[in-house]
Amino acid sequence: MIKCQNLSKTYPLKKSEGYRALKGLDLKIEKGEFVSICGPSGCGKSTLLNILGFLDIPTGGKYLFKNTDVTSFSDNQRSVLRRQAAGFVFQSFNLLPRLSAQENVKLPMLYLGKNQKEASAKAAELLEKVGLADKRENSILELSGGERQRVGIARALANEPEMLFADEPTGNLDSVNSAEIMKMLAELNKKGGMTVIMVTHDSKLASLTDRIVKIKDGEVAV
Amino acid sequence: MNLAEIIRTALLEIKNHKMRSFLSFFAISIGVISIMYTLTLIYSMNYRLKKAVEVAGPGRLNIELKNRWEAQTDVERKQANDTLTYEDALSIRKIFPELYMVSPYFDKWVSFSDGYFREHIGVRGITTEWRKRGWVYKMRGRFINRYDIENNQRVCVVIEDGGWLKKPKWLKFWSFKDPFQNYIKHNELLGKTIKLGSSLYKVVGILKEPPGEKNPKTFIGIGMWEPKILAPISTAQRFLGGWSQSEGGIDGINVDTGREETISKYQRLIEQVIKARHGRTMLFSIKDYREIIKDQMADKHRDMMTVMIIGIIAILAGGIGIMNVSLATIYSRIKEIGIRRAIGATRWDIMRQFMIEAMMLGFFGGIAGVIVGFAGIEYLAMKGDTDMMMLRWWMALAAICAAVLTGFLASIYPARSAARLDPIDALRYE
Repeated sequence: MIKCQNLSKTYPLKKSEGYRALKGLDLKIEKGEFVSICGPSGCGKSTLLNILGFLDIPTGGKYLFKNTDVTSFSDNQRSVLRRQAAGFVFQSFNLLPRLSAQENVKLPMLYLGKNQKEASAKAAELLEKVGLADKRENSILELSGGERQRVGIARALANEPEMLFADEPTGNLDSVNSAEIMKMLAELNKKGGMTVIMVTHDSKLASLTDRIVKIKDGEVAV
Repeated sequence: MNLAEIIRTALLEIKNHKMRSFLSFFAISIGVISIMYTLTLIYSMNYRLKKAVEVAGPGRLNIELKNRWEAQTDVERKQANDTLTYEDALSIRKIFPELYMVSPYFDKWVSFSDGYFREHIGVRGITTEWRKRGWVYKMRGRFINRYDIENNQRVCVVIEDGGWLKKPKWLKFWSFKDPFQNYIKHNELLGKTIKLGSSLYKVVGILKEPPGEKNPKTFIGIGMWEPKILAPISTAQRFLGGWSQSEGGIDGINVDTGREETISKYQRLIEQVIKARHGRTMLFSIKDYREIIKDQMADKHRDMMTVMIIGIIAILAGGIGIMNVSLATIYSRIKEIGIRRAIGATRWDIMRQFMIEAMMLGFFGGIAGVIVGFAGIEYLAMKGDTDMMMLRWWMALAAICAAVLTGFLASIYPARSAARLDPIDALRYE
């Protein structure tokens, strides 16, 4: 499903040549895999995730998604691809605090063009699935960290994407909640057949996945 | 994302920042009020001009003597002794038979009496051509005819006030009642013989004006005073005892060439005829009627421009306010923009959201302005400002559109800035 060839990303800096976050990286991820991307901080794993999730574009190399080169996609095309094919779970949840749990989950569906009724029904269903049926109407600020991350997962699943990207999804959670979130991701992968790509620096969590991709200094470490 | 959803988000934002929103509304609403005021004035002036021309005729020229008290030097005073005459009118008619109307007139102040009722009153001497323009009346009896004029008949026609269908509020404050109109309202004069000055006249016709709302003359405004009794010009000159400005002559001649295009041509030709008859010394003027009306409206025009400028400044200030608010909003919502982008919002989605928010700020300011503006203008109308009675609903609509447009224009830059944010940077922003 995902094929990266000689992928590089350089951030321009004012004085020096520029910071090379990725240096000619090759990667292949098949449909239905549960992959963790590991490495020390600053190694480029978040940059890689952003590129894989169509949030960012590489400065060199090729990124083939289902055999289509998306490196040359416009901002608009990437936005559309994001809402259809990718779901994001963030370390800091990134929910809209002024909206309720259900409204947060509805948002991606509304951007996709679903109507209110359809979106509400689907959001309710997803929130029930993550065990928050009774907290649908609560504001995000009234939820605990674990609950917030579950809303985040529900939102990521809203448009039934093919891939789920999780950037340190348990970074802000205690061990009990972490285990629960990891269980949820594993279930999505095993039962739902979803491709899950998770960034983490915790080797214990990484060991729970099918495959570990280690990144070091912008390259895949063998 | 559909429009309803964007509007809902925008309303939420406006509600969450009440003070900021209120200040934007405030400036916008002042702009809207002045736009409404200006539009009402423009509309009123155009309406009056149109109606005045409609009543007076498209090719209207007024030939008048210059006022005597304007005469400064001895020469001018001597010239001022010469006056327009009924014969001038007759010869203009004879030389230019193609003119639609040549209507000489002559006003005299006399005492009117009928039984015990006495009142000082203006009488206008006219010819049969008087009825060719501005005829808005319902007639009972007959009008003055050629026989009356050629034979100096002592007959007259009385104009009866039309009243109002629904009396305007300002008239209730203004309690003046014309005793003459009051008298003829309660006493049938048609066929009766009355006394004008020292001689007796028969009332052969009553002209009833339409009600004030339907009378175009109501809205023409100043300079349109007309006497309420009409008599043959020949009779008035010969027999009517009383005071007049023009002594032996007549006050003026109203001409209608019939077509707007021929006004300037006849203005020149008639001037030559009168100069030939009076030896180039008489002080008189031939004025294009539209110019007269426009002169009368010059003051209003100046008022209008002042208000308009204030309005434009206010609405600009409102626009800058909205721009400022929108920019401030963006800085406080960078994270939100990043999140929305990450879950699939396009640049256009973000831009649209900010633009609609600003346009709604303009819209609400506009609504507030329209409410206050309507109340204010109605109040002025109630106080007797006839211009302000010309307020129309579409002016409110136009003012709101201007407010929304201001919001739109003010939002372009902030919305573009928001849309251009890099989603990754925005997501990282704390």
